[in-house]
Amino acid sequence: MAEWDTYINVNFKDMPEEIEQVTVIRDLTPGKYKYRSTYAKIIVSKDPEKYPEKVWVRLGRGQLIPTPCSMKILEFVNIIPKGL
Amino acid sequence: MAYKYYKDNRAFIEACVKTGDAVVINEEVDWDLEMGAIVRRTCEKKGPAVLFKNIKDYPGFECVGAPIATYRRLAIAFGLDPDTPIPEISKEYLRRTTGKSYPPKVITNAPCQEVILQGDDANILNLPAPMVHDGDGGRYIGTWQFVVAKDLDTPFINWGMYRQMAFDEKTMAGPVLPFSDMGKMWHNKYQPKNIPMPFAVVVNPDPLSAIASCAPAQIAEDEFTSQLMGEPVEIVKCVTCDLYVPAHAEIIIEGVLVPNVTIDEAPFGEYTGYRTSPREPRTAYYVKAITMRKQPIMAMSNMGVPTDEGQLLRSFSLGLEMDKMLRDQGIPITGVHMLPESTHHLTVVGVKPAYPNIATQIGQLVFGSKLGPWFHMVVVVDEKTNIYDKDELIHALCTKCHPVNGIRVEPFGVGTPLNPFATPAERRLGVAGKVIFDCTFPLDWEASDIPIKVSFDNVYPKDIQEKVLAKWKTYGFKE
Repeated sequence: MAEWDTYINVNFKDMPEEIEQVTVIRDLTPGKYKYRSTYAKIIVSKDPEKYPEKVWVRLGRGQLIPTPCSMKILEFVNIIPKGL
Repeated sequence: MAYKYYKDNRAFIEACVKTGDAVVINEEVDWDLEMGAIVRRTCEKKGPAVLFKNIKDYPGFECVGAPIATYRRLAIAFGLDPDTPIPEISKEYLRRTTGKSYPPKVITNAPCQEVILQGDDANILNLPAPMVHDGDGGRYIGTWQFVVAKDLDTPFINWGMYRQMAFDEKTMAGPVLPFSDMGKMWHNKYQPKNIPMPFAVVVNPDPLSAIASCAPAQIAEDEFTSQLMGEPVEIVKCVTCDLYVPAHAEIIIEGVLVPNVTIDEAPFGEYTGYRTSPREPRTAYYVKAITMRKQPIMAMSNMGVPTDEGQLLRSFSLGLEMDKMLRDQGIPITGVHMLPESTHHLTVVGVKPAYPNIATQIGQLVFGSKLGPWFHMVVVVDEKTNIYDKDELIHALCTKCHPVNGIRVEPFGVGTPLNPFATPAERRLGVAGKVIFDCTFPLDWEASDIPIKVSFDNVYPKDIQEKVLAKWKTYGFKE
């Protein structure tokens, strides 16, 4: 199971769950690509076992929530236009 | 005539190693927090710069941390003795930057283009950008770098330090504040017309180019760098656009700012010593090319509680540019000093109080200038107060500034979203309160009403002072 993290700009108790949302997730796999970010459409749950991917949540100023959540990645989203 | 200076940061760091102002770490260090922790600690201890020779995952790369985080290293950057006192370094800056200016010199075969990577090879994750602080929004490729940009419809160019987070292989993100020089080009001209703006990031430049990019100079930074060097700075044309970059820098990243696209960036440990701004959508940079020297040296400034080079250099140049501006306006100042420990929020102005309310005039002039958004406290002291002595400053502030009449507050100045004290609304709007502390005695007081400062220099006759000083060690004192 891959490990990711994401940031939210609300209190943890208000984090949207069980809805599709586009946000930035960071790959935490060790190595040169650790912290590589990507926009993705995901569904997240506070239940760490519900979805296949483990995701750690950080608040807007970097505070880490000590227990992980789980998420399902529906698709990766590229927001940079082609042909630049 | 050229002044003594270092053409690249390699020679500068070598000079710092010789004087004990830099250490070399040969042991492998991790780019993921370990390098950051080392640099943070040396900044907080006002210790030496660090050259990391062996970075995990990145053979062939080195990294320098905290290159100019002390006045000693600032003196070395100017080719001065590291023990040079701050007022003397300031005089040297003022002497050079009010002297002859030169256009830059364009060269070919520049060291910064020894290696050229384009297309998929121009991958910023192949550069050892550090994870500077735990909790930061990403790896920061741009903490000791500057961005070169050119105005859309004038010849104006800007070199400015704007932080940049590595997002993925080809993309970086960072704030471009609307009142900054690049912000005016980007937000007012390129972006409304949906035109990508070419940029070149200069990572690990020579020390004087770096100082120029931090300075709120009135002339273009390449010309300003040449003034500091006493001869034209050598520049080279970028490989993908018409921008020019210092030829002796370590790494250049070329590309375009992407109009009307934002990328989530931050949080980041900032120069104020806090992570103030949350993760927010910010300007997107798309990378087209990376050029660099062989065995390139990355650079890191670790911002946080004082003192890092952002605080030190910004304080240094902001204060001295204010000095020039106030003198140009005919204000009888004796000097300006901005305290790095204030994270360039507090500036001290010495003045000969020539007329009532001169402190207010000084505050209004500096707050109203282009320098104003970066600080919010001005302390005005008389000409007898040593502006470089923090003890004297605190004494003057606590004894001469009337707690009601001596403090003038302006609630609606221009500020940055990074002020930790600002309300969320003030951050969104870029508003900051400003305050002037007038530490001069009012001119309309009778001479007999003015308190007499009780100090060795002030309350003893000259002959007694000289006698005591001459016999000081024979009394049994060491110093």
